[in-house]
Amino acid sequence: MQLLISSVCMALTSAVIGNAYYQKQQFYPAVVYITKSNASMAVIYIQFFVIVFMFGKLLRKIFLGTLRAAEFEHLLERFWYALTETCLAFTVFRDDFNPRFVALFTVLLFLKSFHWLAEERVDFMERSPVLGWLFHIRVGSLLTMLGILDYVLLMHAYNSTLVRGPTVQLVFGFEYAILLTVIASTAIKYVLHAAEMRTDTPWENKAVFLLYTELVIGLIKVVLYLLFVVIMAKIYALPMFVFRPMFFTIRNFRKALNDVIMSRRAIRNMNTLYPDATPEELRQSDNICIICREDMVNHSKKLPCGHIFHTTCLRSWFQRQQTCPTCRLNILRTPTVNSTAIPRAAEEPANAAAAAAAPTGGQPAAGADGAIINPAATATGVPDAGQPHPNGSAIRNPGVPNFADILAEANNLRNEMSNRAGIPPPPMMPPFMMQPPFGYFPPPLVPPPPMPQDLNTFNEDELRAMEGNLRTHIEERIKMLRNILVMVDSANILMQQYQGIIARLPPPMQVVPPNPDTTAQRVPTAADATAAAAPAQSGAAASAASPLPRAAAADPAAASTPVCDKPSTSRAATTEAKPHEGQVNSVAISSPVANASEKVTIEDLGAEEDINPSTDAASVDVDSEDSSELSELRKRRLKFLEERNKSPTATSDKTD
Amino acid sequence: MAGSALRRLMAEYKQLTMDPPEGIAAGPISEDNFFEWEALIAGPEGTCFEGGVFPARLVFPPDYPLSPPKMKFTCDMFHPNIFADGRVCISILHAPGDDPMGYELSAERWSPVQSVEKILLSVVSMLAEPNDESGANVDAAIMWRERRDEFNRIAQRLVRKTLGLSA
Repeated sequence: MQLLISSVCMALTSAVIGNAYYQKQQFYPAVVYITKSNASMAVIYIQFFVIVFMFGKLLRKIFLGTLRAAEFEHLLERFWYALTETCLAFTVFRDDFNPRFVALFTVLLFLKSFHWLAEERVDFMERSPVLGWLFHIRVGSLLTMLGILDYVLLMHAYNSTLVRGPTVQLVFGFEYAILLTVIASTAIKYVLHAAEMRTDTPWENKAVFLLYTELVIGLIKVVLYLLFVVIMAKIYALPMFVFRPMFFTIRNFRKALNDVIMSRRAIRNMNTLYPDATPEELRQSDNICIICREDMVNHSKKLPCGHIFHTTCLRSWFQRQQTCPTCRLNILRTPTVNSTAIPRAAEEPANAAAAAAAPTGGQPAAGADGAIINPAATATGVPDAGQPHPNGSAIRNPGVPNFADILAEANNLRNEMSNRAGIPPPPMMPPFMMQPPFGYFPPPLVPPPPMPQDLNTFNEDELRAMEGNLRTHIEERIKMLRNILVMVDSANILMQQYQGIIARLPPPMQVVPPNPDTTAQRVPTAADATAAAAPAQSGAAASAASPLPRAAAADPAAASTPVCDKPSTSRAATTEAKPHEGQVNSVAISSPVANASEKVTIEDLGAEEDINPSTDAASVDVDSEDSSELSELRKRRLKFLEERNKSPTATSDKTD
Repeated sequence: MAGSALRRLMAEYKQLTMDPPEGIAAGPISEDNFFEWEALIAGPEGTCFEGGVFPARLVFPPDYPLSPPKMKFTCDMFHPNIFADGRVCISILHAPGDDPMGYELSAERWSPVQSVEKILLSVVSMLAEPNDESGANVDAAIMWRERRDEFNRIAQRLVRKTLGLSA
C-alpha cells in the first residue's frame, strides 16, 4: 500500500517535471512553469510529504526499530490531534500562509512525533524484561539528537523574534520550548530507570524522584502555556490550538501535585505512626511482602492491624488509599492510643472537675435504667466530688475513665493473672496477629468514634461555664454529657471487638480465675464504676425503644449491639439527658418509661434548677441503701474486667 | 532490576505455572510483554457452563498491583456479570473508590493483596453462581432469574462453541 502510493507519487512527480522540461527545454523556464501551475504544485507538495514520511520511517528504523502495536496506536491518535491543532493554528496566521510556513509546521509535527515515541519507549523500559545495549544506544542518541534540534530551533525562533518582532516564529519558539521540557523529563526518567536496572536491589526512592520530576516539569509547562496564551492574546488572537494540550498539562500538573501531597502524607504517617517491623516479627510472619511478592529483609513497616509490608510498597499504596491492603483497616481513622494517653498524674483541679462530671455521666444511664446503675454511679461519684483526691496517686483519675487507664489496668491485671495461673506470658506475641485476616472477620472493624476533647483538663472558663444554674450553664453540662456518651459508645465498640476476639481465643486463657484482690481494691473508684456503667448505659441506649430495658442491661453481652450509628446515639443521648433532668422532680424513679413520660424541655429546666443539687444528694442517700444491687454490679464489673483481660487486643498492648 | 510491576507479574506467572489451580491456566501472550496475559478457564462442574473452556485476556496497568487489571473474555459469553463485549464485571476488578454499579462494598474491591489467581478463581465462582443483582448483561440476568432452562440451553450452546463443536 505504502509502496504503491510512493511509487505512484514518484511517477507523477517525474511526469510533471518531465513534462515541464519537455515543454520549456531549459531549467529556469521549467521551474517557473511548474510553480505557476497549481496542478503541478499539488503533485510537488504531495511528493514532498511522501519524502518526509519516508525520511521519518528511516529515522524510526535507525532509532527505534519496530514499533509495538500500542506505540503505533498512541502515535496515530496523538498525530491526528496535533494535525487538527496545526490546522487551527493556520487560521490565526492565514495572512502569512506560504510554503515555508507549511514546511515549518511539518518539521514541528515531525519532531513532535519522535518526542512522543521517545517518551513511550522510556516508559516501556520499566516494563520490559530484557534490554540490550542497542536499546540504550538508540534511546541515548535519539534523546541527544532531539534535544539539540529543539534547542537550535528554539534559538532560531528567539533570534528571529528579536530581530523581526513577533511573527509566527513566536509559536514555534513556544512549541520547541515545550518539547525541550518533554525531552528533559524523558531524559531524567531514562536516567532513573537505567540506574535502577544496573542495581540488583529495587531502588526505593525512584518513585519519589519520578514524582518530583513530574511536578517540576508540569509546573514549567503550565507556566509556559499560560505565558504563551497571554502573549498570543495580546498580539494576535486567542490561541485556540493550544487549549487542548494546555488543559491536559494543567490536569497532569494537578495530579502530580496531588500525588506529591499524598505521598508526603503517607511518608509522614509511616515515619511517625507505624513502627518498623522487628526481625522477630518478620520471622513469625511468612516474610513476604504481599504487595510486591518479595522477601522482606529490611525497611518494612507494621500497621496498627499487625500486617507487615515493605515501606516503599506501602507508600505507593497509601498514595491512593489510606487503608491496610490486607484487612482494609482505615489507618487514618484508627485512634492511636499513644496520642490520647496524656499523662495527667495528680492534677487537683482536673480531678475535681472530672469527679463533678462523673455523676452527671452516670445519671443518664440511671435515668433510663432505674436503680440498677444509680447506686454505683452516684454513690462513688459524688463522694469523690466532695474530696477531690481521695486515693492519692494510686488511682490517677477517679472521675472519668480514660481508655489508656482502663487498658493499662487491664494489662497489668492480665499479666498478674497469667503469672498466677502458671502460664507464662505469651512470648512477644504481636497482639495484632490475633486478628484474623481480611474476609474471615464477619463484621468489618468498626472504627471507634472520634475521641472527644480531653475531659480531665478543664480550664477556668470551662468550669465557670458549667457551674451555676442558668440555662447556658445547663446547656454546657449537657454538651459535656454528650461528649461522655461518645466516649462510652467508643468504649462499647471496643468492648464488642474484644468479645469478638475472645470468642476465638484458645481455651487455656478462658479458665484463668478472676483476681479478687485487684478487683476488690478497685471497686470503690469512680473510674471503674463509670467503666462498668459504660456497657450498661449503652445497653440502655440500645434499648431505649425496646420494652425490656432491664433485660437488655442485665446482659452486657446482649447490650453491646453495634452503636456505631452516631446520629442516632446522640439523639439517644439527648433523650437520656432530659430524663436525667427530669429526676429533679421525682427522686426515686425506677422505670425508664416513667422518665420518658416526664420529658422536661430545656426551657423548664431553668425554672427548676434550684432544686438540682439537693436532689442529687437525695438520690445518693436513696441509692446507697441499695447495697445488694451494688454487689450485683460489682460482680458484673468483675466479669467485664475478666473478659477484658483475656483479650490481648490491639489497644491494650499499645500502652505497654 | 526491572520495574516492580514486572517483577510481581513474573512472580505470579512463576507461581501459576509451578502450582496451577484446577481448571485455570494463565500466562503472558508473549514473553516480551508481561502486561498482556491470556487465560483459559474451565467451566465449573455441575453448572450449565460445565465442560467449556473459555479463553480470556488480561491487560495489566503499568502500576500493577496498585491498580487492577482488566479482564475480557475473547469468546462469546452469555452471563449476567459479563458485558456483551466480553468484559467481566466483578467487584474484585474494580479499584476502590469508583463504583460503576453502586452496590459494591469496598471490602470486595481490588487491593494489592489480590492476584491473577484470585481473580480467575472469582471468575470461576462467578460462572457457577451469577450475581443477578449487578446486571452487566441485563437480558442474561433476567433470563437467569426467570427462565433458567433457556439460560442453560444458551450456556450449553456456548460451551459447545468454545470446544469447536457445531451448535
